[in-house]
Amino acid sequence: MKQEGEKVESKKDEYFQIEKPYTLSQAIVEADRCLLCYDPLCSQGCPAEVEPGRFIKKLRLRNLKGAFKVIKENNILGGICGLVCPVDKLCEEKCLASGIDRVINIGKLQRFLVEYGWDIGFNPINKEKDKNVDVAVIGSGPAGLTCAAELAKKGYNVTIFEKNEKLGGILRYGIPPFKLNDDFLDREIEDVLNLGVKVKTNYEFKDKGSIENLLKDSFKAIFVSAGLTNAYRLKIPGSDSKDVLTYQDFLWQINSDKVDEIANKIKNKNVAIIGGGSVAMDVATTCKLLNANNVYCISLESMEDLPADKADLHKAIDHYVIIKPQSQIKEITTKDGKVIGVKGNEVKLLKKGDFSPSNIKDIPNSEFSFNVDFVIFAIGSGVDPKIKELLPSVTFDDKGYIKVDKESLETSVKGIFAGGEIVSGPSLAVNAVRDGKRGAKSIINYLNK
Amino acid sequence: MKDLSITVCGVKFPNPFLLSSSVVSNTAEMVARAFDAGFGGVSFKGIGGPSVEIINPAPRMHSYNLGSKKLVGLQNVEQTTDRPLEDNIQDVKWLKKHYPNNPVMVNIMGFNKEEWKYLAQVFEDAGADMLELNFSCPHMSVEGSGMKVGQAFKLVGDFTDIVKRNVKIPVFAKLTSNVTDITEPAMYAKEAGADGITAVNTVRAITNIDINNFVPCPNIFGKGALSGYSGPGIKPIALKCIVELAKKEELGLPLAGCGGIETWVDAVEFLLGGASLVQMTTSIVKYGHRLAEDLVEGLSFYMEDKGFNKVEDIVGKALPNFYETKDFDLSRQGAAQFDLDRCIGCGVCYIACQDAGGQCIEWDSKKRRPIPDEEKCYSCMICSFVCPIDNPPLITFKEIKGKKIYTPPPSKL
Repeated sequence: MKQEGEKVESKKDEYFQIEKPYTLSQAIVEADRCLLCYDPLCSQGCPAEVEPGRFIKKLRLRNLKGAFKVIKENNILGGICGLVCPVDKLCEEKCLASGIDRVINIGKLQRFLVEYGWDIGFNPINKEKDKNVDVAVIGSGPAGLTCAAELAKKGYNVTIFEKNEKLGGILRYGIPPFKLNDDFLDREIEDVLNLGVKVKTNYEFKDKGSIENLLKDSFKAIFVSAGLTNAYRLKIPGSDSKDVLTYQDFLWQINSDKVDEIANKIKNKNVAIIGGGSVAMDVATTCKLLNANNVYCISLESMEDLPADKADLHKAIDHYVIIKPQSQIKEITTKDGKVIGVKGNEVKLLKKGDFSPSNIKDIPNSEFSFNVDFVIFAIGSGVDPKIKELLPSVTFDDKGYIKVDKESLETSVKGIFAGGEIVSGPSLAVNAVRDGKRGAKSIINYLNK
Repeated sequence: MKDLSITVCGVKFPNPFLLSSSVVSNTAEMVARAFDAGFGGVSFKGIGGPSVEIINPAPRMHSYNLGSKKLVGLQNVEQTTDRPLEDNIQDVKWLKKHYPNNPVMVNIMGFNKEEWKYLAQVFEDAGADMLELNFSCPHMSVEGSGMKVGQAFKLVGDFTDIVKRNVKIPVFAKLTSNVTDITEPAMYAKEAGADGITAVNTVRAITNIDINNFVPCPNIFGKGALSGYSGPGIKPIALKCIVELAKKEELGLPLAGCGGIETWVDAVEFLLGGASLVQMTTSIVKYGHRLAEDLVEGLSFYMEDKGFNKVEDIVGKALPNFYETKDFDLSRQGAAQFDLDRCIGCGVCYIACQDAGGQCIEWDSKKRRPIPDEEKCYSCMICSFVCPIDNPPLITFKEIKGKKIYTPPPSKL
């Protein structure tokens, strides 16, 4: 019989392994390559202001605790960002070491230092005295966790309201486990909780205005970071079949304890993923790791214009995912309610990045069809329409995102702030971290007025 | 391939590369493989007098690392060999039989006068081509041996004298750098009849202290000791000793250089500084015998490039260029020159100049480029040392005719 608290053995680890971390000596070799630039561009490239230039210099001078402290003080989710950030578009983009041979592997160094800090049991964060002021955070994705941590550091009583069973939001349910696993995520969330942040999981706001009403309760400010939970599906014939999933449905199942179930389902089967972004590539790679047969990634964009991060694209290709760019799916064919294939044709976008029907031109005689057993949509997601009812006084923009002041992240309602994808639309975890920091700062300013 | 042979004290070496007396020359079997790999000769590992039984400590070595570079130096507390004398005699005989063209120099260390005499004689009888007298081990546990002899100059003379009176083969005195002026003990050795000088043995040092348990490294069950340090870290000191010995006109003895030699370039520097032979250990610890082929080939290519026909022609070639600092021509000045087309904008030259130089570099933060002021530059050249762009270097020194020496204005405090 399993003891309480004992870990349930999950098969997840058999399918998915996150990248091997640096050893200390490997990290030192990498840090030794750093040019230690004056006014380093890597530090300018990080939305969360983690200051890679500073923590790498500290590592180089054997101040590992200090390096860990810089990362954690600047970004409570520094370890996760080290793992999941598309660093080639951020800190590493302007790394001047590329002028010598190649850029410094900043993300991997950052992750190394965070795990090093955990291993030695060093707590780098000082918490200020309790202020006895309650603040609510809605959603526990990267924006919410960061905002909560920043506020807790300053002595505020923070409660996170999370509708799912576990904390993490998109980090838990939207990132494939070969990029970020539960152990790592749990360990980093522990750093947030250790600051005294309170948590209400499985908590769903139902009644109209119930989020706003928290202000009438004991809460003096609210940070809304509920993310995008409404994954899009194309309205085409067959798209309502049970074998057609959204990337959120799929990753949810992978990241919950249902991995074996879905693995058995798609083993040796063909899968079509609709979309050309990083999420589509991640989902495709995940299918391959679950031993799917042919996995297609079908996107409107040309190969050159695929929005996916290069590393994610290369990972998919390395796993023999078949990329089918400049193509549109017109129909999902089914038999007895089961998906048996997809049909489409090649297209040309008259204007880059515009997916309105008038901009998509069919290429004659380019029809194709693939025999597939599952279709997964990875074409983005939007705000949960219910959120408007929970925040009836808050203004939303024409795309359905919450409207905020760009600097302060304050909404149209005093005391309610918002950040992360519910404000920006689809974005990066590190940008959510930036919002969390910015939101916390504004909330503190607001509360001190 | 050039002929790399060199004759020293009448002994012909196929090339000037020798194993030094150490762990790398402990048995005939190891030495034979080194000869097969291309080493010219050996200084067979220090053989102590039979009056004291040698037991080596454990662990006996420690690697000194610098950043990601391992084995920048090697520290050891090893004593003379712990093998029985008879085994070493057999080994020398075997080597001379099987490798007649690879000279064997035997490094010996007596613990009293009789032992010096005895060891010298048995190894001459065993066929050694030369002897090397160990006056320099910096961590001998036996009183009145090793470096302690090398520091008591009269004993250097006395022990050399004993040996020289009892053997016919050439005798080198191996000296320590742990003296104020290495030429002094060298002169004692010469006056007692030494035929050559080996310089230097390991430098007495301590590479690390464990900051957690406060024990120096290597940690011998809670104890450490100031002891011998070798490898690239000591090359500048060893090279200095060779130059000092070579420039000492009254000495006039052939030299074997030893200390931090890894590549043929290091070896050539020792030859240019006046050594006729070079010996090595730490580089073999690091790379193994396979480094011999690159020493041999590298030296041969160098000789072709420079038009040298004999190794002898390289020996001491740099000595005329060594002066005292008072002899410099101070009327000639210059400034650092920047090839900014190749600059990648890291700004480390700016940091170095501001914090450790003459504050003659400003920083263009928009373009991310240094703005050097030639007039203020006093050519310390530290900017070029930190600049990551090399081959050719982005920052170089250039003489500027008629340049006035810039004196910074009084500090505005």
